[in-house]
Amino acid sequence: MKRIVLVVFVLLTVTTVTIAQTGLKKRRPLPFEYGKVILNNYSEKAGLAPVVFDHWLHRARFTCRLCHVDIAFAMKAGTTGITASDNMSGYYCGTCHNGKRTFDGKKIFESCGIKYPLADNKQCARCHSLGKNVDRKYDFVKFTEGFPKERFGNGINWEKTEADSYVTLVDYLEGVTIQRKPLSIPKDITVEPKQAGMPEIIFSHKKHAAWTGCELCHPEIFVGLKKGDTKYSMTEIFLGRYCGVCHGNVAFPLLDCQRCHTKPVEHDTSALLR
Amino acid sequence: MIKHIMLAAIVIVIAIFSVIQIVSEKVPFLSAGTAYAQDEWKKEFDALCSETQDAMLMSHEKLHDLVARCDALKPRIESLDESQRKVMLKRLKMCKDFYVYVLQSKESK
Repeated sequence: MKRIVLVVFVLLTVTTVTIAQTGLKKRRPLPFEYGKVILNNYSEKAGLAPVVFDHWLHRARFTCRLCHVDIAFAMKAGTTGITASDNMSGYYCGTCHNGKRTFDGKKIFESCGIKYPLADNKQCARCHSLGKNVDRKYDFVKFTEGFPKERFGNGINWEKTEADSYVTLVDYLEGVTIQRKPLSIPKDITVEPKQAGMPEIIFSHKKHAAWTGCELCHPEIFVGLKKGDTKYSMTEIFLGRYCGVCHGNVAFPLLDCQRCHTKPVEHDTSALLR
Repeated sequence: MIKHIMLAAIVIVIAIFSVIQIVSEKVPFLSAGTAYAQDEWKKEFDALCSETQDAMLMSHEKLHDLVARCDALKPRIESLDESQRKVMLKRLKMCKDFYVYVLQSKESK
Protein backbone atom coordinates (compact mmCIF):
# COMPACT_ATOMS: atom_id res chain seq x y z
CA MET A 1 0.00 0.00 0.00
CA LYS A 2 2.81 2.33 1.00
CA ARG A 3 4.52 1.53 -2.30
CA ILE A 4 1.43 2.57 -4.31
CA VAL A 5 1.18 5.88 -2.43
CA LEU A 6 4.86 6.47 -3.08
CA VAL A 7 4.50 5.74 -6.82
CA VAL A 8 1.50 8.06 -7.10
CA PHE A 9 3.37 10.77 -5.19
CA VAL A 10 6.44 10.45 -7.45
CA LEU A 11 4.27 10.53 -10.58
CA LEU A 12 2.44 13.63 -9.40
CA THR A 13 5.71 15.36 -8.50
CA VAL A 14 7.29 14.56 -11.88
CA THR A 15 4.17 15.78 -13.76
CA THR A 16 4.03 19.00 -11.74
CA VAL A 17 7.72 19.73 -12.25
CA THR A 18 7.48 18.98 -15.99
CA ILE A 19 4.50 21.27 -16.45
CA ALA A 20 6.18 23.99 -14.39
CA GLN A 21 9.33 23.77 -16.51
CA THR A 22 7.86 23.53 -19.99
CA GLY A 23 4.56 25.22 -19.25
CA LEU A 24 1.18 24.77 -20.83
CA LYS A 25 1.14 28.33 -22.08
CA LYS A 26 0.88 29.17 -25.74
CA ARG A 27 4.13 28.83 -27.63
CA ARG A 28 5.51 32.13 -28.81
CA PRO A 29 5.50 32.13 -32.64
CA LEU A 30 8.80 32.13 -34.49
CA PRO A 31 9.62 35.30 -36.48
CA PHE A 32 8.35 33.87 -39.78
CA GLU A 33 5.19 32.59 -38.11
CA TYR A 34 4.23 35.88 -36.48
CA GLY A 35 1.11 37.33 -38.11
CA LYS A 36 0.24 34.08 -39.85
CA VAL A 37 -3.50 33.68 -40.41
CA ILE A 38 -5.20 30.37 -41.13
CA LEU A 39 -8.35 30.63 -43.20
CA ASN A 40 -10.59 27.63 -43.13
CA ASN A 41 -14.19 28.75 -43.57
CA TYR A 42 -14.75 26.64 -46.65
CA SER A 43 -11.40 25.07 -47.61
CA GLU A 44 -11.63 21.68 -45.90
CA LYS A 45 -15.30 21.34 -46.81
CA ALA A 46 -14.19 21.73 -50.42
CA GLY A 47 -11.48 19.10 -50.01
CA LEU A 48 -8.60 21.56 -49.85
CA ALA A 49 -6.08 22.35 -47.13
CA PRO A 50 -6.76 25.57 -45.18
CA VAL A 51 -5.16 28.75 -46.51
CA VAL A 52 -2.01 30.03 -44.83
CA PHE A 53 -1.73 33.78 -45.14
CA ASP A 54 1.58 35.40 -44.28
CA HIS A 55 1.19 38.95 -43.05
CA TRP A 56 4.93 39.61 -43.25
CA LEU A 57 5.04 39.32 -47.02
CA HIS A 58 1.95 41.41 -47.63
CA ARG A 59 2.68 44.09 -45.03
CA ALA A 60 6.08 44.62 -46.65
CA ARG A 61 4.28 45.71 -49.81
CA PHE A 62 0.91 47.19 -48.95
CA THR A 63 -0.54 49.41 -46.23
CA CYS A 64 -2.98 47.93 -43.72
CA ARG A 65 -5.60 50.35 -45.03
CA LEU A 66 -5.42 49.07 -48.59
CA CYS A 67 -6.38 45.52 -47.62
CA HIS A 68 -8.61 46.16 -44.62
CA VAL A 69 -10.50 49.18 -45.96
CA ASP A 70 -10.35 49.16 -49.76
CA ILE A 71 -10.42 45.39 -50.21
CA ALA A 72 -12.62 44.94 -47.11
CA PHE A 73 -10.77 42.17 -45.28
CA ALA A 74 -12.17 42.04 -41.73
CA MET A 75 -9.78 42.64 -38.84
CA LYS A 76 -10.67 39.37 -37.15
CA ALA A 77 -9.43 36.19 -38.79
CA GLY A 78 -12.16 34.04 -40.27
CA THR A 79 -14.89 36.70 -40.19
CA THR A 80 -14.61 37.91 -43.78
CA GLY A 81 -16.07 34.71 -45.21
CA ILE A 82 -14.00 34.65 -48.40
CA THR A 83 -15.13 32.14 -50.99
CA ALA A 84 -13.40 30.88 -54.12
CA SER A 85 -16.20 32.51 -56.07
CA ASP A 86 -15.38 35.89 -54.47
CA ASN A 87 -11.76 35.50 -55.51
CA MET A 88 -12.67 34.45 -59.02
CA SER A 89 -14.95 37.51 -59.30
CA GLY A 90 -11.99 39.74 -58.48
CA TYR A 91 -12.69 40.47 -54.81
CA TYR A 92 -10.66 39.86 -51.64
CA CYS A 93 -7.50 37.88 -52.59
CA GLY A 94 -8.67 37.99 -56.20
CA THR A 95 -8.39 41.78 -56.22
CA CYS A 96 -4.65 41.40 -56.76
CA HIS A 97 -4.28 37.67 -57.32
CA ASN A 98 -6.04 37.70 -60.66
CA GLY A 99 -3.21 36.81 -63.01
CA LYS A 100 -3.36 40.31 -64.49
CA ARG A 101 -2.24 42.75 -61.83
CA THR A 102 1.49 43.21 -61.54
CA PHE A 103 3.86 44.01 -58.71
CA ASP A 104 7.47 44.99 -59.35
CA GLY A 105 6.92 44.20 -63.00
CA LYS A 106 5.83 40.61 -62.27
CA LYS A 107 2.33 39.24 -62.72
CA ILE A 108 0.65 38.29 -59.45
CA PHE A 109 -0.53 34.70 -59.65
CA GLU A 110 -4.23 33.99 -59.95
CA SER A 111 -6.01 32.69 -56.87
CA CYS A 112 -8.81 30.13 -57.25
CA GLY A 113 -8.64 30.45 -61.02
CA ILE A 114 -11.38 28.64 -62.85
CA LYS A 115 -8.76 26.97 -65.02
CA TYR A 116 -7.20 25.24 -62.03
CA PRO A 117 -9.14 22.08 -61.20
CA LEU A 118 -9.04 20.87 -57.62
CA ALA A 119 -6.67 18.15 -58.78
CA ASP A 120 -4.09 20.82 -59.63
CA ASN A 121 -2.69 20.75 -56.16
CA LYS A 122 0.47 22.60 -57.07
CA GLN A 123 -1.37 25.78 -58.01
CA CYS A 124 -3.97 25.56 -55.22
CA ALA A 125 -1.28 24.72 -52.67
CA ARG A 126 0.35 28.11 -53.11
CA CYS A 127 -2.31 29.34 -50.67
CA HIS A 128 -4.06 26.16 -49.48
CA SER A 129 -0.90 24.96 -47.81
CA LEU A 130 -1.58 24.15 -44.15
CA GLY A 131 0.12 20.88 -43.27
CA LYS A 132 1.70 20.60 -46.69
CA ASN A 133 5.36 20.74 -47.51
CA VAL A 134 5.16 23.58 -49.98
CA ASP A 135 8.14 25.41 -51.40
CA ARG A 136 7.41 29.05 -50.71
CA LYS A 137 8.34 31.49 -53.44
CA TYR A 138 9.49 33.98 -50.82
CA ASP A 139 11.72 32.89 -48.00
CA PHE A 140 11.29 34.96 -44.84
CA VAL A 141 14.97 35.06 -43.90
CA LYS A 142 16.11 35.95 -47.41
CA PHE A 143 13.32 38.47 -47.93
CA THR A 144 13.93 40.32 -44.69
CA GLU A 145 17.71 40.15 -44.87
CA GLY A 146 19.07 43.62 -44.13
CA PHE A 147 15.81 44.97 -42.73
CA PRO A 148 16.23 46.81 -39.39
CA LYS A 149 15.80 44.29 -36.63
CA GLU A 150 13.69 44.24 -33.47
CA ARG A 151 13.43 41.85 -30.57
CA PHE A 152 9.92 40.44 -30.88
CA GLY A 153 7.23 39.60 -33.42
CA ASN A 154 8.73 39.13 -36.85
CA GLY A 155 12.01 40.38 -35.42
CA ILE A 156 11.72 43.31 -37.85
CA ASN A 157 11.27 46.99 -37.07
CA TRP A 158 8.70 47.58 -39.79
CA GLU A 159 8.41 51.29 -39.12
CA LYS A 160 12.14 51.78 -39.62
CA THR A 161 12.11 49.39 -42.56
CA GLU A 162 9.74 51.74 -44.36
CA ALA A 163 11.40 54.93 -43.11
CA ASP A 164 14.79 53.72 -44.36
CA SER A 165 13.24 52.82 -47.73
CA TYR A 166 13.85 49.08 -47.58
CA VAL A 167 10.21 48.82 -48.59
CA THR A 168 7.74 51.19 -50.25
CA LEU A 169 4.19 50.46 -49.26
CA VAL A 170 1.49 50.64 -51.89
CA ASP A 171 -1.66 52.46 -50.72
CA TYR A 172 -3.50 52.79 -54.00
CA LEU A 173 -4.91 50.18 -56.35
CA GLU A 174 -6.25 51.29 -59.69
CA GLY A 175 -9.95 50.53 -59.96
CA VAL A 176 -10.29 49.76 -56.26
CA THR A 177 -9.00 52.67 -54.18
CA ILE A 178 -10.86 55.96 -54.25
CA GLN A 179 -8.68 58.92 -55.13
CA ARG A 180 -8.54 61.25 -52.19
CA LYS A 181 -6.59 64.12 -50.75
CA PRO A 182 -3.66 63.36 -48.46
CA LEU A 183 -4.63 62.70 -44.87
CA SER A 184 -4.23 65.54 -42.40
CA ILE A 185 -2.78 63.83 -39.35
CA PRO A 186 -4.38 64.51 -35.95
CA LYS A 187 -2.16 65.37 -32.98
CA ASP A 188 -0.38 62.72 -30.92
CA ILE A 189 -2.13 61.62 -27.72
CA THR A 190 -0.59 60.85 -24.36
CA VAL A 191 -2.26 58.13 -22.38
CA GLU A 192 -1.69 57.87 -18.64
CA PRO A 193 -0.93 54.34 -17.49
CA LYS A 194 -3.01 52.95 -14.64
CA GLN A 195 0.07 51.74 -12.82
CA ALA A 196 2.13 54.38 -11.03
CA GLY A 197 5.73 54.62 -12.16
CA MET A 198 5.05 53.28 -15.66
CA PRO A 199 6.12 55.69 -18.41
CA GLU A 200 3.21 57.38 -20.17
CA ILE A 201 2.12 56.10 -23.57
CA ILE A 202 2.58 58.45 -26.48
CA PHE A 203 0.18 57.41 -29.17
CA SER A 204 1.32 58.68 -32.55
CA HIS A 205 -1.49 59.28 -34.99
CA LYS A 206 1.18 59.92 -37.60
CA LYS A 207 2.69 56.46 -37.25
CA HIS A 208 -0.67 54.72 -37.23
CA ALA A 209 -2.83 56.71 -39.64
CA ALA A 210 -0.23 56.61 -42.41
CA TRP A 211 -0.76 52.85 -42.58
CA THR A 212 -4.34 52.52 -41.43
CA GLY A 213 -6.27 55.64 -42.41
CA CYS A 214 -9.08 56.80 -40.10
CA GLU A 215 -11.96 54.38 -40.60
CA LEU A 216 -9.95 51.24 -39.91
CA CYS A 217 -9.65 52.13 -36.21
CA HIS A 218 -12.63 54.43 -35.64
CA PRO A 219 -15.16 53.51 -34.48
CA GLU A 220 -14.72 49.73 -34.84
CA ILE A 221 -11.71 49.44 -32.53
CA PHE A 222 -11.63 52.76 -30.67
CA VAL A 223 -15.15 53.98 -30.15
CA GLY A 224 -14.36 56.85 -27.77
CA LEU A 225 -15.18 60.28 -29.08
CA LYS A 226 -12.51 62.20 -27.24
CA LYS A 227 -9.37 61.47 -25.28
CA GLY A 228 -10.11 59.34 -22.25
CA ASP A 229 -13.54 58.21 -23.45
CA THR A 230 -12.45 54.68 -24.28
CA LYS A 231 -11.51 53.02 -21.01
CA TYR A 232 -9.34 50.00 -21.46
CA SER A 233 -6.86 47.99 -19.50
CA MET A 234 -3.77 45.98 -20.34
CA THR A 235 -5.79 42.84 -19.60
CA GLU A 236 -8.26 43.74 -22.35
CA ILE A 237 -5.41 44.61 -24.69
CA PHE A 238 -3.76 41.25 -23.99
CA LEU A 239 -7.12 39.62 -24.78
CA GLY A 240 -6.91 41.11 -28.27
CA ARG A 241 -9.07 44.17 -27.89
CA TYR A 242 -8.19 47.83 -28.57
CA CYS A 243 -4.42 48.09 -29.32
CA GLY A 244 -4.34 44.30 -29.03
CA VAL A 245 -6.35 43.90 -32.24
CA CYS A 246 -3.08 44.50 -34.12
CA HIS A 247 -0.37 44.50 -31.45
CA GLY A 248 0.08 40.88 -30.53
CA ASN A 249 -1.15 39.55 -33.85
CA VAL A 250 0.60 41.45 -36.60
CA ALA A 251 2.12 44.67 -35.28
CA PHE A 252 4.89 44.41 -32.67
CA PRO A 253 3.72 42.38 -29.68
CA LEU A 254 2.79 43.62 -26.24
CA LEU A 255 5.97 42.24 -24.69
CA ASP A 256 7.79 45.22 -26.17
CA CYS A 257 6.54 47.54 -23.39
CA GLN A 258 8.86 50.48 -24.02
CA ARG A 259 7.78 50.92 -27.60
CA CYS A 260 4.46 52.35 -26.36
CA HIS A 261 5.36 53.42 -22.83
CA THR A 262 7.84 55.93 -24.14
CA LYS A 263 7.42 59.14 -22.15
CA PRO A 264 10.00 59.31 -19.34
CA VAL A 265 8.56 59.31 -15.82
CA GLU A 266 8.98 62.65 -14.10
CA HIS A 267 9.92 62.00 -10.49
CA ASP A 268 9.25 64.62 -7.86
CA THR A 269 12.79 65.44 -6.75
CA SER A 270 11.93 68.65 -4.88
CA ALA A 271 12.03 66.88 -1.51
CA LEU A 272 15.55 65.66 -2.22
CA LEU A 273 16.76 69.16 -3.07
CA ARG A 274 15.46 70.73 0.13
CA MET B 1 -30.90 42.88 -108.38
CA ILE B 2 -30.37 40.63 -105.34
CA LYS B 3 -26.99 42.25 -104.77
CA HIS B 4 -28.61 45.69 -104.68
CA ILE B 5 -31.27 44.55 -102.24
CA MET B 6 -28.66 43.00 -99.93
CA LEU B 7 -26.51 46.13 -100.08
CA ALA B 8 -29.51 48.31 -99.28
CA ALA B 9 -30.44 46.04 -96.39
CA ILE B 10 -26.91 46.24 -94.94
CA VAL B 11 -26.92 50.04 -95.25
CA ILE B 12 -30.31 50.26 -93.54
CA VAL B 13 -29.20 47.97 -90.68
CA ILE B 14 -26.00 50.01 -90.17
CA ALA B 15 -28.00 53.23 -90.23
CA ILE B 16 -30.49 51.92 -87.65
CA PHE B 17 -27.65 50.82 -85.32
CA SER B 18 -25.90 54.17 -85.71
CA VAL B 19 -29.08 56.05 -84.84
CA ILE B 20 -29.64 53.86 -81.74
CA GLN B 21 -26.02 54.40 -80.70
CA ILE B 22 -26.24 58.21 -81.05
CA VAL B 23 -29.62 58.46 -79.33
CA SER B 24 -28.58 56.19 -76.41
CA GLU B 25 -25.50 58.33 -75.80
CA LYS B 26 -27.59 61.50 -75.71
CA VAL B 27 -30.41 59.96 -73.67
CA PRO B 28 -28.90 57.92 -70.79
CA PHE B 29 -31.99 55.94 -69.84
CA LEU B 30 -31.87 54.20 -73.21
CA SER B 31 -28.43 52.75 -72.34
CA ALA B 32 -28.04 49.24 -70.99
CA GLY B 33 -29.79 49.48 -67.60
CA THR B 34 -27.46 47.43 -65.41
CA ALA B 35 -24.22 48.99 -66.60
CA TYR B 36 -25.64 52.46 -66.18
CA ALA B 37 -26.95 51.72 -62.71
CA GLN B 38 -23.59 50.23 -61.68
CA ASP B 39 -21.79 53.29 -62.88
CA GLU B 40 -24.10 55.57 -60.93
CA TRP B 41 -23.88 53.75 -57.58
CA LYS B 42 -20.10 53.51 -57.88
CA LYS B 43 -19.81 57.22 -58.59
CA GLU B 44 -21.96 57.99 -55.55
CA PHE B 45 -19.94 55.56 -53.42
CA ASP B 46 -16.66 57.13 -54.50
CA ALA B 47 -18.00 60.61 -53.85
CA LEU B 48 -19.21 59.63 -50.39
CA CYS B 49 -16.20 57.71 -49.17
CA SER B 50 -13.48 59.88 -50.66
CA GLU B 51 -13.87 62.46 -47.93
CA THR B 52 -13.20 60.52 -44.75
CA GLN B 53 -9.80 62.17 -44.30
CA ASP B 54 -11.50 65.58 -44.12
CA ALA B 55 -14.33 64.52 -41.83
CA MET B 56 -12.93 66.34 -38.79
CA LEU B 57 -13.08 69.64 -40.66
CA MET B 58 -16.64 69.20 -41.92
CA SER B 59 -19.72 71.00 -40.63
CA HIS B 60 -22.55 69.15 -38.85
CA GLU B 61 -24.78 69.69 -41.87
CA LYS B 62 -22.25 68.22 -44.27
CA LEU B 63 -21.73 65.17 -42.03
CA HIS B 64 -25.49 64.67 -41.64
CA ASP B 65 -25.84 64.87 -45.40
CA LEU B 66 -23.09 62.29 -45.97
CA VAL B 67 -24.67 59.89 -43.46
CA ALA B 68 -28.09 60.27 -45.13
CA ARG B 69 -26.55 59.66 -48.55
CA CYS B 70 -24.80 56.51 -47.22
CA ASP B 71 -28.19 55.25 -45.99
CA ALA B 72 -29.76 56.03 -49.34
CA LEU B 73 -27.04 54.17 -51.22
CA LYS B 74 -27.26 51.01 -49.10
CA PRO B 75 -30.34 49.46 -50.81
CA ARG B 76 -28.72 49.97 -54.21
CA ILE B 77 -25.60 48.11 -53.07
CA GLU B 78 -27.73 45.37 -51.52
CA SER B 79 -29.09 44.58 -54.95
CA LEU B 80 -25.65 43.79 -56.38
CA ASP B 81 -24.33 40.27 -56.88
CA GLU B 82 -23.10 38.44 -53.79
CA SER B 83 -19.35 39.09 -53.91
CA GLN B 84 -19.68 42.73 -54.85
CA ARG B 85 -22.43 43.23 -52.27
CA LYS B 86 -20.32 41.78 -49.42
CA VAL B 87 -17.32 43.95 -50.22
CA MET B 88 -19.14 47.18 -50.97
CA LEU B 89 -21.50 46.92 -48.00
CA LYS B 90 -18.54 46.51 -45.67
CA ARG B 91 -16.78 49.48 -47.28
CA LEU B 92 -19.90 51.62 -47.11
CA LYS B 93 -20.45 50.67 -43.47
CA MET B 94 -16.90 51.66 -42.56
CA CYS B 95 -17.19 55.06 -44.10
CA LYS B 96 -20.70 55.74 -42.79
CA ASP B 97 -19.73 54.62 -39.27
CA PHE B 98 -16.76 56.95 -39.39
CA TYR B 99 -18.91 59.94 -40.35
CA VAL B 100 -21.35 59.08 -37.56
CA TYR B 101 -18.40 58.80 -35.15
CA VAL B 102 -17.05 62.22 -36.13
CA LEU B 103 -20.54 63.73 -35.96
CA GLN B 104 -21.09 62.39 -32.45
CA SER B 105 -17.61 63.52 -31.49
CA LYS B 106 -18.43 67.07 -32.60
CA GLU B 107 -21.83 67.03 -30.93
CA SER B 108 -20.36 65.83 -27.63
CA LYS B 109 -18.05 68.86 -27.43
